[in-house]
Order: sequence, then structure tokens, then C-alpha cells
Amino acid sequence: MGMEQAWLIPAIPAAAAGILILFGKYLPRKGDWLSVLAIGTSFVLFFFVLHDLTDALARGGEFTAVHSGREWVRIGSFNLRIGFQVDQLAAVMLAVVSFISLMVQVYSLGYMKGDKRYGWYFAVQSLFAAAMLTLVLADNFLLLYFAWEGVGLCSFLLIGHYHERRSAAEAAKKAFITTRLGDVGLLIGAILLYRSVGTFDMSTIFDAARSGQIDHAYLTAAVLLILLGAMGKSAQFPFHVWLPDAMEGPTPVSALIHAATMVVAGVYLVARTMPHFQVVDGTLVAVTAVGLITTFMSAAMGLVMTDIKRVVAYSTLNSLGLMFIALGAGSVTVALLYVFTHAFFKALLFLASGSVYHATDELEVTQMGGLAKKMPVTAAVFTLGAMSMAGLVPLAGFWNKDELLLSTFENHNIFVYLAVLVSVLITALYMTRLVLLVFTGKPRNEHVYEHAHEPGPAMKLPLLLLGVLTVFAGFVVFDGVGRLMGLPGGFGEFVFTHEPEVFRINAGVTASSILLVLVGIAGGFYFWGGAAERAKAVGEKMPQVYSLLRNKFYMDDAYQWVIDRVVLVVAGVVSWYDRVIVNDTGVNGTADATRFSGFLLKFHETGLMPNYALLMTVGVVVLAVIAFIVGT
Amino acid sequence: MNLDYSLLIPEYLLAALAAVVIALGLYDTRRARTYLPYVSAGGLAAILVVSLFYINKGPLDFAGLVQIDNYTTFFRVLFIGITAVVCLASAHFVRDRLRHAGEYYGLLILSTIGAIYMAAGRELITAYIAMELLSFSLYVLVSFAKMDAKSNEGGMKYMLLGAFSSALFLYGLSLIYGVAGSTSYADINAALSNGVGDFGIAMLMGLVLIIAGIGFKVSAVPFHMWAPDAYEGAPLPITAYLSAASKAAGVALLLRLFTEAFLPVLSDWRWMIAALAAASMTLGNLVAIQQHNIKRLLAYSSIGQAGFMLMGIAALSEMAASTLVLHLTGYVITNLAAFVVVIAFYNASGKDEIADYRGLAERAPFLALSLTVALFSLAGMPLFAGFATKFLLFQAVAKEGLLWLAALAVVNSLISLYYYLLVIKQMYVGETEEKVRLRVPAGVNAVIVALVIGVFVVGLYPQPLFKATDNAVHAVFPTTAAKQAHDTGSSPSESPLPGR
Repeated sequence: MGMEQAWLIPAIPAAAAGILILFGKYLPRKGDWLSVLAIGTSFVLFFFVLHDLTDALARGGEFTAVHSGREWVRIGSFNLRIGFQVDQLAAVMLAVVSFISLMVQVYSLGYMKGDKRYGWYFAVQSLFAAAMLTLVLADNFLLLYFAWEGVGLCSFLLIGHYHERRSAAEAAKKAFITTRLGDVGLLIGAILLYRSVGTFDMSTIFDAARSGQIDHAYLTAAVLLILLGAMGKSAQFPFHVWLPDAMEGPTPVSALIHAATMVVAGVYLVARTMPHFQVVDGTLVAVTAVGLITTFMSAAMGLVMTDIKRVVAYSTLNSLGLMFIALGAGSVTVALLYVFTHAFFKALLFLASGSVYHATDELEVTQMGGLAKKMPVTAAVFTLGAMSMAGLVPLAGFWNKDELLLSTFENHNIFVYLAVLVSVLITALYMTRLVLLVFTGKPRNEHVYEHAHEPGPAMKLPLLLLGVLTVFAGFVVFDGVGRLMGLPGGFGEFVFTHEPEVFRINAGVTASSILLVLVGIAGGFYFWGGAAERAKAVGEKMPQVYSLLRNKFYMDDAYQWVIDRVVLVVAGVVSWYDRVIVNDTGVNGTADATRFSGFLLKFHETGLMPNYALLMTVGVVVLAVIAFIVGT
Repeated sequence: MNLDYSLLIPEYLLAALAAVVIALGLYDTRRARTYLPYVSAGGLAAILVVSLFYINKGPLDFAGLVQIDNYTTFFRVLFIGITAVVCLASAHFVRDRLRHAGEYYGLLILSTIGAIYMAAGRELITAYIAMELLSFSLYVLVSFAKMDAKSNEGGMKYMLLGAFSSALFLYGLSLIYGVAGSTSYADINAALSNGVGDFGIAMLMGLVLIIAGIGFKVSAVPFHMWAPDAYEGAPLPITAYLSAASKAAGVALLLRLFTEAFLPVLSDWRWMIAALAAASMTLGNLVAIQQHNIKRLLAYSSIGQAGFMLMGIAALSEMAASTLVLHLTGYVITNLAAFVVVIAFYNASGKDEIADYRGLAERAPFLALSLTVALFSLAGMPLFAGFATKFLLFQAVAKEGLLWLAALAVVNSLISLYYYLLVIKQMYVGETEEKVRLRVPAGVNAVIVALVIGVFVVGLYPQPLFKATDNAVHAVFPTTAAKQAHDTGSSPSESPLPGR
């Protein structure tokens, strides 16, 4: 088992999904074990692939990705492959996706117990794992697009898991439609590239782009369209509105799909297609701008939201924005390091919030408070996750934030750097706020407080494992740690754009980041400590700002207005045309005509044999007469 | 002259199997009815394996009469496979409703030999005799339900019209012989390449009559009239066999004859086949809308399908031929799946009106699902065999400059979806008073599962089959040099074929 067999990694969960969808209800425990077993196997197989990869890297020389797979359809020069590739980028994503999927599925064993659609939930989880693993392994745009749509579908199904609840159904629809806007961009971009290069194969396309074979206008359009796809999936401004609403899904789903894996698919896509972005000037600036806007808007909104999961969701938006800024600096290393560490602490945050919700049935922080006494483990790991998000040294979040700041400092102009610094401060503020409101102070709702309790072992185990990783995952930046794991060195020497990046520390940058985080945490204590009166006072002093943030910059309302007043009005006219002209006249008309001609024609079948023979004779005579005329 | 008798081993075995089956049927008739289908299917499976040894052997001709090449091997496997499936599908039907099981299975196996030689023959008289071997077996089999007036009527009509069409066909053969001075495909090809001089009209008349004769076999409009009556009257498994083997054999003969013999005069007959194709698909699909019996519905749908297949002949190129054989194979698998379900339903309920399928999804969910898969595939929906094969076929046809025909075919596929959906609607939306679950024997379920898997495999991953059809068709196409001569006129296309 080596890199050539990497296709097994998505194939196993895919097979499990197939079995579960068809026969899940006949299996004991509705087949949840099969789903966990499948992703567990994939996770183990990942180590074989990684081992093979590090061996190949150790052999030295120029390493290019190892391709495998087989032809799917081939007609003349048109060729579709189901092709997979393994390289460092794919390996990091494989690690994240398979591990977090495994953790989330184990956690779900406890969290989803007694759910009405328990079997279905695990079937979709398996399907998601298969699609997401295919996405990161695909070596051509078409397969990538299939997988891209696959994860979108699973996201839709899982957000709408409680579809009896109107808000969940609406949220699922919103997520699906919003991301579709981006998906169409990706599809058109891939088709443009296909038209100019004649293949969907990524490495061939990159070579063509580098050597300038692709028409510049074409390439620019394709790159921007691909960016559009990435923005939709990664919930970047202006598509970010779907992510907070996606929290309607079960919490493990939020941890897996809407924090650790699917939403970073956009980051992965940009990282994967980085050669394009580097060829076309200005596109990286666009990436940075998108990231900056997303980071700021989400950080600001995180300050005022009161739904525990939504605050965490805004912090995810915040992180995704930062990843885009890293990509904008052209640094695949930093972006992927961020993806890697972020997956652990963000999944931890979500799973810990899920543990709170599971025990109390409450998501509003205004109803919580003092829960640390009742659920100390949850409180501890949640705090750990929050501090990591805030970037407290030496947790995982610190290292990626530090690397990000350094690369921003060196590659972007000073304003971008300062802006990122400010966002560091705000992040520390609102993460501290969340911890304080949920776990400290006096209980605001006795009923909720009464019910709070620690979760069972199936849920606790992933929490603890992720907690450990939240502490240690950041150390992969060091050479020594990387070597211990069999890699050629630190993270930067494993994943990189052009040449290995050795981990460095810039004292000034690091010091300012540590200082700002501490200020942020202190500020959090100052404003929201105790009964959080100071924060209230600030809010009352600036009512416009407060309500602007509470209403999410009115973007949802703006979109709703556009949908109601523009889209629906236009749709109404089109629909009238469709109903009356197209359907009643055109469709029903032709259908009636078709049916009627069938009615008339059926009488030629008289049942009388002489007629049959006559028709045959007529047929021969007609053909012969025409042939005679044409022939002479 | 090559007289290597070992080339014909599969056919000896088939003949021997037929003899054994007929003999077994004479003793202990009651028990023979039960075990004969399995003996037949087992024997056929063994012979199928034997025929696999001929892959990539040859091309070797036998006395200039038949040719053993990949094309023959492909159709050998296909026809033997069809007969095996039909034998299995007949098991309960024949046991419960027919007498003389030995003759029934024996004739089925004998007719397979005819079908194989229709594909293998490269000489007009051999091809004709093979066609008659298939037809005579079928005349008997269609009227096998002796006590059933409909079966007798269908068989009688089929036989009389068949005789009429044979006369046309033979007359056509004699005209071609007169023009070319030979009955061998290769010699005809050579003669036609050198020009026919004053015999132009004779050759055209010969082509018209040959097309009429084979058009009857594949039930192309206007030579299709026998089909609905024969399909409705015949015992159900024989209807399945008619729609699969008989049609495939006709196409196999047509394809070999028109590529190996008549390719030089492509422009003289292309329009005839195209016209028949257009008429068949349009009339077949339109009249199918009006049917209320599932057998007649499938009869008209198979007339429409004949139109799609003739289209591949009209657009004759190596690419089109390959996709045609691919479509034919997908169609055979799909159609057998549909018929096995219809037979299972008939065995359990004794009914064959479309209205009887009401609420089948509740009474036999697996049957309903399988029939839905088969019908969707026939209509050409994605995921299923029909989509992949039709897509490739239509594309090849469009590439050969018959865009109008491909467009018509797409419209007809749409029409066909309507009447297939009517059946599906009955099964899933219709309510029924009868709530009793229908019992389907496990063996039948296994056959259905295998066929449905086949439908999906061809639909999702047609590449291996496509390679096989490609190799098959490559055997009947003349050498590249001759091909280029025929290609001049059409664009110098990039190598149209994969895998070489």
C-alpha cells in the first residue's frame, strides 16, 4: 500500500456510504459502526501513504506528485480520468479530513443517539468523507468538481438534518444556493481552461499556464472564476452569509463540515491552483482583499452575537479570511499550516459547544453562565480551544498566527499587516468574552444550570484527543518535531510553494502579537468579567454600531430585499411567460399533438395480414422508385 | 480453402447441447420441465467460456463462408449470453404454462447458432441460411403456446410475412450476385469498387430488397407490422428473445454485410437506411404512447430502438459502428432486465396490462425498482446504460454529418421517456386494492440483480465494453487505406478510435 493506492482512501467510505444508504436500516445499530470503521480504515491507510511519501521525499531529487487512477471514458481525443494524486499538499489535507472525520463520527455516536434519522446521518457522513477525500486527491478539475458538488450536497443534507424545523430547512437552502453561485464559477473556470488546453488535468494546465500557452484574457477569467468558487465554498465576503445560518445543523456537522474540512476546500483550491494566481498579476491582491473584508466583518460581528455556535462560526469566518490573506501573500505554507492547526482547535470548540448544547438544550449565552462548575472538562477544553483561537502562546493557534503575521509583514504592505494585528486583538477579545459568558459568573438561567452535565465517553474521548492536539499540533513548525514524525523537517519544509521555508521567528512581530493577544484577553476580562456591565455600557453608548453589528451589517436584509424586489419580480414575469406561453401553449400543445399523432398512427396496425404485406410492398416500391429516380 | 473445423467448436457444442436437451425432454417430461432450463443455461455458460478462447484469434475464415474474428467472438458471447438469460427467465413460465419443454429449450439453442452465423457469415447464401435457421426456430417458438389463439395468430402472421420478406431478401441477393458475379462479401466489395457499369439500377434494386429483408428482421418501419402481434402473442420469454437476440442478430448481419460488401457504394444506400431509421424511431415511439399492454408497449419501443440502431448503420464509420455495437449491447442488457421483471410479474399475477402494474412498488418493491431502472435506461437517462450508449452513438452519427437524424433521435428519446414514465407512474403513484406481496423466486431475483448491475456498469463505466466493441468492429472494417478512400469527402478526422 503506497501512494499508488491512495484511491482506496476515498473508496472505502464511498463503499460504506453505498451500503448504508441501501441497506443501513437492516444493519445492527443502523450501521453506525460501518461508517466509523470505514473512516478509521481510511485514517490508518493515510499513514501508509504518508510513509510512502516521506520515503519518496527522502530519496531526494525533484519530487512531483504521484498520480494514479484509471481512464473513465475515452472517445477519440476526449478523455476523462478518475485520477488521483498525492503530494505534500494532499497529504496535509488527508490528515486533517480523515482524522477530524473520525473524531466527529465517534463523537456523533454519543451526540446523535436516539435521533430519528440516525442511520441516514451516518450514511451521509460517510458520503461526505468520501467526497471530501476525493476532492483533496483529485488530479483533474472535473473530478475535483464532482467532489466539490458532492461535499456541497452533503452539507445541504446535513444542515437540513432537522428539516422539520423551518429555520433548518431555510438554512440548508441558503447554504446550497449561496455556494452554488460560486460553484458555477468554478465549473466555468474549469471549462475555460479545458477549452484552451484541451484537458482537465491540473499539472498539464499549470505547465501550459506557466509557459504562457493560455491566452491571457482566458486565463485571467478562469482564475477569477475559480476564485469565485473558492469564495463560495470558504464563505468569503460577499458569500459569507450562509455559514452562520449553517449552524442549524447538528453540532458535529458544524465541527466537521463548517469548520475543519469543507469550508477550507476553497483555501485548498486556491493553494492547489496557486501557479495560476502567480501567473496572472493582481489576482493575489483580490484574494487578499476578500480575506481582509471577511476577517474584519466577522471579527466585529463575533463581538456581539449571543448564540454560542454562531460566535464560533464567526470566528471560523475570521480564520478563513486570515487563510485567504496568507494565500494572498503567496504562501501556501502558512495557509496550510493554518488549515491544519485550525482544524483541531475549531473542531474542538464546536464539539465542546455541542457538549454544552447536548446537556442543556440551550445555545443562547445569555441563558448560561457558571457552567464550569457543572462541566469542568468541557469548560477546560473549550477554554483551551478559545485561547488557541485567540492565539495564546504556545497553543496551536499561536504558531499559525505568528507565521501569518510574519509572512504578511514581509509580503504585503504595512496596512495589511496592521489590519491583521487589529483583528488579532478583536479575536482575543471576543473569544475571551465567550468563555466568560458561558462558563463563569453566576448562572443566568437556573433551569439550564440544573441540567448541565458532562457528556458520555463517546463524546469525551474526541474532546480530549482534540484538546491534546490543540496544545501540541502547532509544534509541527519546528524542524525537530517534523523529523521525529519522519518528515524532512518542519512544516515549511514539507509544504511550500517554490522552495522549503525554514521556520523563523521575528522578535518584533512575535512580541507584538503576544502583547496584543494578552491585551485582548485582559480587555475581555475588563468588559465581560462578572456581570458584563461594562460591555453593556459600551453597547448603549454606541447604539448605531451595536445594532449594525447585531444585524450583520444588514447584509442578510439587503440580500433579502434584492431577492424579494428584484429576483422574485423578474422570476414572476418569467414564470407567467413559462406557465402560459411555454407550458400551456408550447409544452402541452406539442404533447397533445404528439399524443394525437400517436392516436392517428395506431390505426395503421389493423391486425389484418394483407394490410401488413401491402405496407411492406409499398415500402419497397417507394424506396425502389426513389432509388430509380436518384440513380438515373 | 481453409477447412479448420476447430474454428466452429462452439457451434458443435451448441448443436450437441440442443440434441441433449431435446432428448432429455422426452423422458420424464414432468421433471424435465423443472431442470431443463438449468441444464440449458449451464451448458450455455460453459460454451460461452469456450468461445472466450477465440478472442484475438484470427481473423480466420472457414471455407470462405464464415469468418472467426473478434466481431464473431463478440456476438457469439452476446448471443449465448442472451439465450442463457432467456432460458433462466423461462424456467417458471415454461413449467407452469407450456408443454414440450425439451423442444422449447432445444429450439432456443438451435436458433442461437443461426444468430451467431448471421454475425459470422461473409457470404450471402450462408448469411441467408443462418437467418432462416433463426427465423424458423422463432416461428415455432412464437406459436409455442398451442392452446392460446393469440400465440397461434402471432406465429402465423410472423411466419407468412417472414416468408414474404425472405422472398424479397433472396431476390435482392440474386440481383447483387448478378451485378457482382460473386456471393462473397469481399468479392462484392471488390466488384463494386471497380464500378458497376450498366448495372447501377440492378444494384440499387438489390440494395432496396436486401434492406427490406433485414428491415423485417430488425422490425424497421414499414416492415415492422408483424412485431406487435408476434410480441403480444408469443410466450413472454420468447418475446424477450425476439426483442434481444433476433434484433441483435439482424443488426449484426446488417453491419457486417454493409461494411464488408457495400461500403464502396455507401452514398447509394445511406439515404435508404437513414429514411428507415427516421421512420422507425418516429412511428415506433409515437404509437407506443397509445399502448395499454406492456408487451405491445415494449414491441413499439423496440421498433423505435431499431430506428436508433439503423441510424448507426446510416452513419457508417468505424466509430459509429463501434458505438452502434455498444448501444446494441447496452440495449440487450436493459431490455432483458425489463423483460425478466415483466415475466416475473406475469408468473406471479398472470397479468400483462400496464394498468395491472398499479401499486407494484408496494407489492413487489424490488421488481418495481428494477423495472424503473430498465425503463429509465431505455429512455436514455444518465447513470444508466442507455444514456452512455445513446450519447456515444448520437455523437458518432452527428459527426458523420447526419446531424438532423441525431436531432430527431434526441426528440424521440424524449417522447419515449413519456410512455416509460407512464409505467413508472403506475407502479409508484398508483394505488391498488391488492396488498398481497408478490412472491418472486430467488433465482429470478438473482438474474434481475445481475442485469441491473450490468445496466449500471455500462452506464457509469462503459470503457471496458467500449474497448471490446471497438476491437470487434475493427475486424469487419476494411484496411485503413481503403477506409481513407471512403473517408475522402468527410473531414480528415483525428484518429476516431481509442485504445490502439
